[in-house]
Amino acid sequence: MLNIENLHARIGDVEILRGIDLAVKAGEVHAIMGPNGSGKSTLAQVVAGHEDYEVSEGTVTYKGQDLLELDPEERAREGIFLGFQYPVEIPGVNNAYLLKAAVNAKRKHQGLDEIDAFEFMKLAKEKMALLGMDPKFLNRGVNEGFSGGEKKRNEILQMAMLEPSLAILDETDSGLDIDALRAVAEGVNSLRDPDRAIVLVTHYQRLLDYIEPDQVHVLSQGRIVRSGDKTLALELEEKGYDWVKEAVNA
Amino acid sequence: MKTAALSLEALREAVGRLPDDRLAPMRQQALAQLGETGLPTTRHEDWKYTDLTAVVELSNRWLSAPATQHAAKDLAGVVESIRGQVEAHWLVITNGRVDDASLARCRDAGVAASLLSEADVGLHSPFPLTQLNTALLQDGIALRISADQELDRPVGLLVLDQGAEAGSVSQARIEIRMAPNSRADFIEYHASLGGAQHYGNSVVNLEVGDGAQANYLRIQDRHRQHAQTGRLDVRLARDSRFAHCGFDLGGAFVRNDLNISIDGPGAAAAFDGLYLGGHDQHIDNHTRIDHRVGPAESRQEYRGIAAGNARCVWNGKAIVHVGADGTDAAQANHNLLLSDKAEIDAKPELEIYADDVKCSHGTTVGQLDEASLYYLRTRGLDKPFAQRVLTRAFAQAIVSRAPVAAAGTLLTGLIEDRLGRMLEVLQQ
Repeated sequence: MLNIENLHARIGDVEILRGIDLAVKAGEVHAIMGPNGSGKSTLAQVVAGHEDYEVSEGTVTYKGQDLLELDPEERAREGIFLGFQYPVEIPGVNNAYLLKAAVNAKRKHQGLDEIDAFEFMKLAKEKMALLGMDPKFLNRGVNEGFSGGEKKRNEILQMAMLEPSLAILDETDSGLDIDALRAVAEGVNSLRDPDRAIVLVTHYQRLLDYIEPDQVHVLSQGRIVRSGDKTLALELEEKGYDWVKEAVNA
Repeated sequence: MKTAALSLEALREAVGRLPDDRLAPMRQQALAQLGETGLPTTRHEDWKYTDLTAVVELSNRWLSAPATQHAAKDLAGVVESIRGQVEAHWLVITNGRVDDASLARCRDAGVAASLLSEADVGLHSPFPLTQLNTALLQDGIALRISADQELDRPVGLLVLDQGAEAGSVSQARIEIRMAPNSRADFIEYHASLGGAQHYGNSVVNLEVGDGAQANYLRIQDRHRQHAQTGRLDVRLARDSRFAHCGFDLGGAFVRNDLNISIDGPGAAAAFDGLYLGGHDQHIDNHTRIDHRVGPAESRQEYRGIAAGNARCVWNGKAIVHVGADGTDAAQANHNLLLSDKAEIDAKPELEIYADDVKCSHGTTVGQLDEASLYYLRTRGLDKPFAQRVLTRAFAQAIVSRAPVAAAGTLLTGLIEDRLGRMLEVLQQ
C-alpha cells in the first residue's frame, strides 16, 4: 500500500526526516511512536502533501504510484486520509457542507454520481451515532468552537465518511478523556479492513490498549530506530524514550 | 492634482429650472451654503482616499447641458423584477423622480408616505454632498411610522437610475421619522442601468424615536461604470434599537457615509457592512458613531474583499462625548486581499472624552488562511474550489447577520453572483 524509502524532508534549512524506510501493507495497523520533535508529525504531513515540507531525497509510493507527484487533494481522492493533530477551525463553512463536498470530490474522481442528500444524511447520522456525536454538529462551522475531544471525533467522522484506503491519524489520542478515547478507538476499529491500512502516530502507548497494532516503530531524530510488534510499545511505556535515545547513541 | 470645482453658475441655473414649490427656499439656502464651502477635496482628512474630481467634472458637464431624461421604460422591468422577488412596501425613485404610483400604493396599504414638497420637513444640513442633494432635488419622500405602529412588511426604498449617453446626475432623498415604540424594517436598494456615465447622490435621514426599533438593509448594486455617493444619517432616541447591514456589490466609484448619533440613554446600534471590490472599483465606507449620552451600546463589523485593481477604504470613527458614561463601543474591520494589485485602506478612529467607557477596535488585512486551505485540500477539495469555499465563508459572517429576512433570497443571490464573478477572474 505505502512504501517509503530513504525519505529525507526539510522545512526551510532544517532537516527533520533523515532517511525513513517504512512499508505498510493493506490490512495492517502500524503505530509510529517517538518523543516530541522526533519527526512523527512531519512524516504524516509529508505523506498527506503539505507544501511547506520539501522532500530532498528518497521516494514515497502509494498503490504503486509516485505519491510525491500528487497534490494534497489528489492524494485525498486516491484514498489517503490524514487525521490532524490540531484540526483547523473554519467558521462559515458548514460541517455537513464540507463532509458532502469531500465525499463528492472522491466519488467524482471514482466516476460515481454525487451522493444524494437523503443517503448522505442517513450515513452521516449513522457514523455520528457510532462516535457518540450529536447530529447538531453537522450544522455548525467546521470545528468552530469545538472542544479538543469534539474536534478529534470530527476527524474520525470525516474518515468514516470518506472510507480511505490509507488513514494516518496524527496524535488523535492527545487531549482526549477516557470516554472520547474509547469512542475514537471504536470508530477506528470499525474501519479495520483487509483492504485498508491505518497508521497511528502517537506519543503514548495508551491508544494502543484500544487499537491493537500489527507493528510498532519508534522514531527518533528523523529516523526509525526500532521496529517490532505490540510488545515494543509496552517496553517503551515501561522504560521511557530515554531508553531508545541511549540505544541509538550507544 | 488640483480638484476641479463645481460650476456654481451652472448649478444656480439648474436650481432655477426646478419647480417653485415648498422646497425652493431650501434649495436656495443649500446652494448658498455650497457656494461658501464647495465639495470636499482630498485635502480633507475624511476624503483623503476618495477624489471627487471625476464626479465634479461629470456634474459640471451635466449641469451645463442637462441630458434629456430617458423615458424610464428599461427601469420598469427592474422595478417589477425586484417587486416580484421581495414582498415589501416599495417606494421607487427613478432618475431622481419619485414614482407617484408607488407612493399611492404605499399610502393605500397604510404607509404614511408623501412627497417632500408636500410634507413639513426641513432639509438643512452642514454636509456639502447633502447640500448638493438638496439644491438639485426634484422631490423626495417623507415617511412617518406612527407611535406603536408595526408594519406588516418591510419598506423598500428603491433608487434606480438609467445613465444617459452624455452622462447624467440624479438625487434621491428620503426622510424617515419613526415615532416612539414603532418597529419597521427597511431595504434601501440602489441599482442602475445603461452605459455612459452616471452619478447618483442619495441622502437618507432616519430618526428612531424612544423605544422604537429599526432594521435596515442597504444594497448597492450599481452598473460597473457608475458613481454613487450615499449618506445615511441616523438619530437614536432613548432605548431605541438600530440594526444595519450594508452591502456594496457594484459601481465604479462608491462612497458611503453612515453617521449614527446616540441621543438617548439605553440606545443600541449594531451596524455591519460587506464590500466586494473587483476590477477597477473604488469603494469607500466611512462610518461615524457619536455617543452623546450613556449608557448605550454600539457594535460594528465591516468586512471587505478586494480583487483585481480594486481599492477599498474603511474608516470607522467612534466618538464618546463628555458625560457619555456607560458607553460600550466595539468596532472591527476585516479584509481579504485576493490580488496583489488590490488595495485596502483601513482606519479605526476612537475619540474618548468620558471616563466610564468600554471601547475596542480591531482591524485586519490578509490573504486566505493557508492552514484552512490545506485542510480543505486534504479532504479532496481542489485548490480553486477550496479558495471559493473560504472566500464565501469570509463573506458569510456578515451575510448571516443581515437584517430583514424578506430580502434574504435576493441578497444571497446577488452576493453569490458577485463573488462568483470575482473568483472566476481570480482563477483564470
